[in-house]
Amino acid sequence: MSDRAGQACALTVLAPIERGRQDLLRTLLQGLPTGAESPLARAPGTHFARWVVVPQLVYQGPPQKRDELDLAYLMFTSNFDGPLEPYLDALCGPMGEAADAIWGCCIGWPGLGDPASAKAYLLRNRLATSLFVAGYPQARLPEVLRALELRERVTRFAIGAQGQGAESLALAWRQEFGGP
Amino acid sequence: MSNVEGKARAITVLSPVRPGWPLWLHGLFFAGTHLTFSLKKLQQLSFIHYARWAIVERRWPGGDRPRGKRQRYRYLLFESNFNGSWDEYIDAFSEVVPTRIRLIWGSSYGFPGPLPVEPFKAYIRKNELPIDHYYSAYPAATTTEVISALEVARAFESFIARSRGLAGADFKRSYEDFLFEVQHHL
Repeated sequence: MSDRAGQACALTVLAPIERGRQDLLRTLLQGLPTGAESPLARAPGTHFARWVVVPQLVYQGPPQKRDELDLAYLMFTSNFDGPLEPYLDALCGPMGEAADAIWGCCIGWPGLGDPASAKAYLLRNRLATSLFVAGYPQARLPEVLRALELRERVTRFAIGAQGQGAESLALAWRQEFGGP
Repeated sequence: MSNVEGKARAITVLSPVRPGWPLWLHGLFFAGTHLTFSLKKLQQLSFIHYARWAIVERRWPGGDRPRGKRQRYRYLLFESNFNGSWDEYIDAFSEVVPTRIRLIWGSSYGFPGPLPVEPFKAYIRKNELPIDHYYSAYPAATTTEVISALEVARAFESFIARSRGLAGADFKRSYEDFLFEVQHHL
């Protein structure tokens, strides 16, 4: 199993959807607010995540024999700041109602009224990652967000400070970044 | 349904693995994880934030049941978070790491090979799963921008430390050194 790359962790959960609830679940997922309003924004440390309904397996044609699921599945994948345990707590905590509504469409979801069972459910339906590749494996989410903001400020400053004399440059720097 | 969030794009592919090949895949992924050189080429694809492969065993998870239905085949799951267009992404996979792609997806039924690229694209399209909800914590940033920002932050800390107490021309010299160091990351 290779669920880690540096400090970054990969989680994949595959849970069977209750018969007849696939359309409802799809409507629910597709109607979720996106960006900073997404329920996934409330799970700290989430860099990228997705929910995917797997309705059926794709047949490739001969020589493959047909292979069909008896139930549709809900796939959840997340790339987040490790370790796993606190992240599962976040999925079963701050995401609250949304998590209950979504995984509530899956067979056997115990509900967040029982967080320990909900965590156990996610773990029981988890897939091991075979190979995990991260572009910046050591960087935690707060560090990435701070760095992106700082890069913008430094770029703005560098453009604005072009041609300034030594004294006014130092003054402008102090005003923007504090010190020296 | 959307596989796009700002500059971030998502791809999810599920393909059936030929009998006898799972052992090969396990060995290959073990080598990929533990032998650094084998990952280097993938990490050089500078538009990938995060990507993973996983093998779904024949017994799928069962919810609260001990196990789900036993499928005829194991399945190979691939998911990626990247920036750029879908076509550019598959083109890069096909042109930059064709051997690795052949080694991995050669295990799956119907895989036509990475080159020529059009049949490979058709194969990925056929086996790609639509995404019902996609989230990125920094949708405005590409992978390169994130890596650059981290470099700027590292250099910034170092500049702050070495410029402490400097004024006038000394500060300017130090600032210009800092700018020279980060100019390719701004």
